[in-house]
Amino acid sequence: MKTIYKFSLLSAFGLLLLNACGGVPEEKSATGGVENAFSVEEVLEMVAKENDITRTLYTKAIVGKGKKQGMKFDEDWRKDDVEAGPLPALFLRGVATSIRKSPVPLGLYLGSDFPVNAANKFEGKQAELFTEIKKDQKPQFFYDEDQKLHTAMFADLASAGACVSCHNDHPQTSKTDWKLGDVMGATTWQYPKDSLSYKETVAVLNSYAQGTVDIYLEYLDEIEAFKDSEKPEIGKKWPAEGNYLPTAEVFLDSVKKLTSYETMKHLVAANE
Amino acid sequence: MFKVSPLRKRQFLGGIIGLVLGAFICYILTLEATEDYVSIGPMNTGHQDLNCFACHADAKGNLLQQVQSNIAHAVGARDEGVDFGTQDVTVDNCLQCHDRPNDRHPTYRFSEPRFKEAVQHIDATTCVTCHTEHEGERVSVANINYCMNCHQDLDVENDPLDVSHKRLIAKEQWSTCIQCHDFHGNHRYDVPEKLKDTIPMKLIQHYFEGGEDPYGSNKKYMALSQEAWLKTLEN
Repeated sequence: MKTIYKFSLLSAFGLLLLNACGGVPEEKSATGGVENAFSVEEVLEMVAKENDITRTLYTKAIVGKGKKQGMKFDEDWRKDDVEAGPLPALFLRGVATSIRKSPVPLGLYLGSDFPVNAANKFEGKQAELFTEIKKDQKPQFFYDEDQKLHTAMFADLASAGACVSCHNDHPQTSKTDWKLGDVMGATTWQYPKDSLSYKETVAVLNSYAQGTVDIYLEYLDEIEAFKDSEKPEIGKKWPAEGNYLPTAEVFLDSVKKLTSYETMKHLVAANE
Repeated sequence: MFKVSPLRKRQFLGGIIGLVLGAFICYILTLEATEDYVSIGPMNTGHQDLNCFACHADAKGNLLQQVQSNIAHAVGARDEGVDFGTQDVTVDNCLQCHDRPNDRHPTYRFSEPRFKEAVQHIDATTCVTCHTEHEGERVSVANINYCMNCHQDLDVENDPLDVSHKRLIAKEQWSTCIQCHDFHGNHRYDVPEKLKDTIPMKLIQHYFEGGEDPYGSNKKYMALSQEAWLKTLEN
């Protein structure tokens, strides 16, 4: 009897000790008490739209016009002996890398059924949905059970002459008859939640915008290290006017001007 | 109530000595000088000078809080369990020192759904698949044929190599890839055009085990030292 009493007393003391400090404070959910304003599909559509506009601007105004000024763009642009800027597909990969470094859990990938690099060819579910996208250019959504991620795919169109000419003429190309307006590939976006608060939505859009600034700044840094090539003047002017490149701020400002109306429409609609 | 029987005094004294000694050993093992004894194995190449905390950050809360929270989680009174002792080491820990813009195989890329099958063969979404820590080596992957999981369709136009890439793939000579191409693409070096000039497998194996770098020491980005990493945390 005495043993049971002692044991109970020790147990009670142990429990008291265990509870005395309380538990580890629970992580406050970023959306705790905040109403979710958008479905993940809506948010991914918004950011994909911004991506379309940004990439078209980069491809047309920087790569397309820049090439006419003698600027070079190359898949090995990061190598020291290659004095060039990132090709549009690598510009997107740079954005994706930057997003992954941000706290926003957004995944961004680019693929195709006729990629320049065979390792970028769609397989499985993505290949299946890409055939649908090629038919109607409409976005496709699915839930990736394995990774527990909401996934969206959007058509990536040949929106500039530079897309078509570079891909058709590329030594590694698996298709040589691309035309303007073709669905050349698709972007794939992933996000872990099915709906987002207003704040989370803005964070997604901001992380994309920051990604474009980061990769663009990396390009400007590479230019800084050019030894043999003529360096373009970096300021307010664009390659259309000569051997110039806009600063990251000027580039982002132009993106914002082009995208703000569409994005704002969605953001405001959610508040009505 | 807890009166010690005169017949059990020796046991009691022994118990007390054991407790004090145990507490002392626990304390000693938390000191920097004894980290080698706590480590489950020798650190990998380049990590020899790291302290445990560089990767194993303290988990949130004190030990009692962690025990309580995990018991609460086990009985359903709490949504999430918590790390016990130290936080789990993730890819993010590695990237704090090893993140490189020129990485041709960054881990995040393999989260894309189309790599699902490849990842089943080799989980490239995480560094430790090939760089298991505490093994006293550089690369711990068992088989060097991992390129086969994604590059079966490779066909190099105007192939500069004397034995074409296509032929090497057809002959399933997957270990030859690494004899020219470093996986992460951070070395600056000229790739040979003749198979006989490629880096011998023996040297590659030696490098994996922690030996000299056969691709040369000229790298575009260097990993951060512990001191440099700590400075990044101050910003």
